Amino acid sequence: MKWSNIRLIFWRECRDQLRDRRTLFTIAVLPLLLYPLLAISVFQVAQFRRDHPSRVWVIGAELLPPHPSLLSGDRFRAGLVDDATRQLIALGSAPPNWRQLSHESLGHRVQQEIRQGNVDAVVLFPHDFSDRLDQFNRQMAQRPPPNSTTLPHFSTVPEPTLFLNTANDKSRLAAQRTQQALQSWREEIVRAGLHSRQIPVTATRPFQVAHVDLAEAGRQQLAFWSRLLPFVVMIWALTGAFYPAIDLCAGEKERGTLETLLTSPADRREIVCGKLLTVTTFSSATAILNLSSLVLTGSLFFGQMNLVEGAQPLRLGAPSFSAVIWLLLVLLPISALFSALSLGIAAFARSNKEGQYYLMPLLLICLPLMIFPVLPACELDAGTSLIPISGILLLLRTLIEGDYLIAARYCLPVLGVTGLGCWLAIHWAVHQFNQESVLFRESERVGLRIGLKHWWRKRQDTPGVTGALCCGLLLLFIRFIAGSQATMPATWKEFVTSQTLVQVGLLAVPAVLFARLLGRRVRHGLLLRWPGYKPVLAGGLLAVCFHPIGMELTQLIHNLYPLSDAIGNQLRELESIMGPASLGTLLLTMAVLPAICEELAFRGLLFSGLRRSGSPGFTILTSSLFFGAIHGVFQQSVSAFLVGTLLGGLAWRTSSILPGILFHFAYNGLSLLLGLVLPIYLPSQPVLQLAFNGTEDSLRYHPLVVISGALACLAVGLWFRGIRVDTEPSQEAAGNCQDGSATDSLGATPVA
Amino acid sequence: MIRVRQLSKIYTDWQHGDSIALDAISFDAKRGEIYGLLGTNGAGKTTALRILATVLAPSSGSATIDGCDVVQDPSLVRQKIGFVSSNTAIYDRMTAWELVMYFGRLHGLDQDLLRDRMEKLFTRLDMNDFRDVLGAKMSSGMKQKTSIARALIHDPPVLIFDEATVGLDVLVGRSLLDTVSALREQGKCVVFSTHIMREAERLCDQVAILHRGRFLAEGKWRELAEQHGYDDLEELFFALIREDRSVRSVDSPRESETQETTLSSTAGRLN
Repeated sequence: MKWSNIRLIFWRECRDQLRDRRTLFTIAVLPLLLYPLLAISVFQVAQFRRDHPSRVWVIGAELLPPHPSLLSGDRFRAGLVDDATRQLIALGSAPPNWRQLSHESLGHRVQQEIRQGNVDAVVLFPHDFSDRLDQFNRQMAQRPPPNSTTLPHFSTVPEPTLFLNTANDKSRLAAQRTQQALQSWREEIVRAGLHSRQIPVTATRPFQVAHVDLAEAGRQQLAFWSRLLPFVVMIWALTGAFYPAIDLCAGEKERGTLETLLTSPADRREIVCGKLLTVTTFSSATAILNLSSLVLTGSLFFGQMNLVEGAQPLRLGAPSFSAVIWLLLVLLPISALFSALSLGIAAFARSNKEGQYYLMPLLLICLPLMIFPVLPACELDAGTSLIPISGILLLLRTLIEGDYLIAARYCLPVLGVTGLGCWLAIHWAVHQFNQESVLFRESERVGLRIGLKHWWRKRQDTPGVTGALCCGLLLLFIRFIAGSQATMPATWKEFVTSQTLVQVGLLAVPAVLFARLLGRRVRHGLLLRWPGYKPVLAGGLLAVCFHPIGMELTQLIHNLYPLSDAIGNQLRELESIMGPASLGTLLLTMAVLPAICEELAFRGLLFSGLRRSGSPGFTILTSSLFFGAIHGVFQQSVSAFLVGTLLGGLAWRTSSILPGILFHFAYNGLSLLLGLVLPIYLPSQPVLQLAFNGTEDSLRYHPLVVISGALACLAVGLWFRGIRVDTEPSQEAAGNCQDGSATDSLGATPVA
Repeated sequence: MIRVRQLSKIYTDWQHGDSIALDAISFDAKRGEIYGLLGTNGAGKTTALRILATVLAPSSGSATIDGCDVVQDPSLVRQKIGFVSSNTAIYDRMTAWELVMYFGRLHGLDQDLLRDRMEKLFTRLDMNDFRDVLGAKMSSGMKQKTSIARALIHDPPVLIFDEATVGLDVLVGRSLLDTVSALREQGKCVVFSTHIMREAERLCDQVAILHRGRFLAEGKWRELAEQHGYDDLEELFFALIREDRSVRSVDSPRESETQETTLSSTAGRLN
């Protein structure tokens, strides 16, 4: 790569963007105008804000006791609620015949009246309310006989009913105000009763809880800005990256200038790098301008808010200087990540218009990761630091809050994950630029009929890449729907039935059907071939050697991302129902069945299709992603993904699922034995005690066993590399696909 | 200078399935010669030229330019060619001067040499009047002149013109043809694709008639016309196309029909 070319492209693209009025508006004018205008609007609206009056009907008001009184004319009595609220509640009477109605009928009438806007809430006092309250008060006033040990009997007072419609804001507000008045009135009644018995009012509340706020001066302000600013920076870094990326890729394609650039001596990687630098610059500039405008407007606006009568004073002021510095420092990796992602997406789009359609899905994917760190109690730790986007947001928040020790501890994993994300996204963008099918996609029309006809006629022995991806998504969808409908099995028999249904019905059978439908030869579509006894043996051996490492990885994942209580309880329940099962049925259900069915689906159907892309990395990672996703529980998915990459490696090397099936069976079987059988024999077998650590509930391999396992894995791997894998003539033909010259009957042609 | 052997290109996509854009074509173009690629829309002209310009990769076969392979040494090939096509647009937000300078610098020309060449080129192509006009405000003729200046700035030995006269008025079209003719005089090797037979008659030393990805005839146009008993290139062209269609329909009526549909529906996409 020539740096001079990258620099040239970067300066040209920058100049080009600065001459574009739309880009200038988005990155400069909009942020400078948006926040001040927004603040002025809010300020103006706040001045015109007024409280809505409530209309409340009281049924049975005439029967209420005079002391202490609830009503005074068409208002609640003064002193029950504050004056402003009192003036907002207008009381009225319901039609006289309503008193005779049942609760249900009355409810219907009130609902009607609320809907018509005649009333907001209705209070019904039962006809004997006053008498029973009076009786209660008298009983309260009576002194109990001296030396009496039994509690006096008090008659119950029938409860008044408040009719409201919670779906209606006005009704909810009216009920809230009325409730407040009724509560004050009830307290007055209690106070009067206590007074008649000469008991001090404090008897009902002997002590109060005092609050001491230990927040240091400025911490509240930091807490506020540390949540708001990173989120704003993220949103604008993404938006600021997306529009220039669309213009620089899809826009250039549309205008025909991309082909001009491709015929220049600049290498495609140089073109991508030049464009990436430009997009990153504009993304950062957009975020910085927005940040400046927000901070400036925010500090002025909150000061102004104090002037509004009755409003809570918000003395937040501007964020600290260090907060701004941290924001600027962390902005660079954030912008680079979003720029690379946007560039990859933009390269795929055919036109500006199409590119803009992709903004929403990208936002929808990124938004939960941006919102997650804003949630209460979400903190930077070993687990959250590894989540892309969320990790860097949390790091930024921690830095702004001044918790430098925590930030320093997790800085490397956060930057590592972000760097990896950047690298992958850049790699993807370069890959997109090398795809003819992407660079020269012109047609907007999809000829489904011709396409399907062609695909059916020309389909090959195995499915294509697109076919495999569609199958993977479909399997996930079926699994998700089935999972949402399924209930937790209560007995071992139920568990076996559901496991068989899931494995056979939702994985194996669809895999065979799709292999038949999308390819000409089911056996090839499922990679069902004998690769020789040595590769199969190597699969089994590798599982045994890898098991200690796999267990340690699982433990690490569980430490990083602890299981929630609900999932933990479910797993414990599952373990409990396994009690009556024999070892044979356990192995059959938990090891043999998944080994066959999951391998058929993921290393068979999906793998045979994906490997036609010619890229081992893409094939192994994508099939592992689907394999991980099907496991549902996040922690299990991560473990499954890691094991899936190993299984993928086996399948790539041998073009067969048989070594994978043996690996899968051996791995699951060992896990079962470790969990169920080992605790029984461990106390009596000293050899086992040497190999395992921990308590009965959480047995772990001894570190020396883990290291030995890793070395053994390496040895088996080296032996495996040297093994001659038997190939069939048709497999050799499929192997030709792996050099990248093959075409995908459903997808694009990977070339260049 | 240009050596093409058994060059093939197959496109695969959802809409069209597999379509053979180039089917094992071979030709040689020499220094100081204009080689004409003639064909209807969808014949495979642009695909062939895009492969020569290293924008597309061939499915099979080989192509070398001045000894450099288009697949093995794409960067070297791009240094040796100037590519002008009806599809290669110019930047809307750059002036003619800035654009030519940008491409000159991408070709690694030093500042003085670049300025000198630009002055000469702008004078020769009569571009001084609009050197500071933004691309968005240029007429089609101005744009095409700017494109030519961009392609010539590094003084490449090979020039590829892909339907470069499409959309130009008579005056600008004539001026472009004169420029191409002058390039031959300078000893450049020019590949010129067109579907306008009069242009080919006027310019080309060698022609190849391309139809559905295959060469139907190749050689000096006068000799080809005489060989087939026609007076001009257009008659020869129509006769060869007709003949090819009838041969294909006899050989494989279904395939011919399918390919006909496919190629006619892809017109503009492949070419």
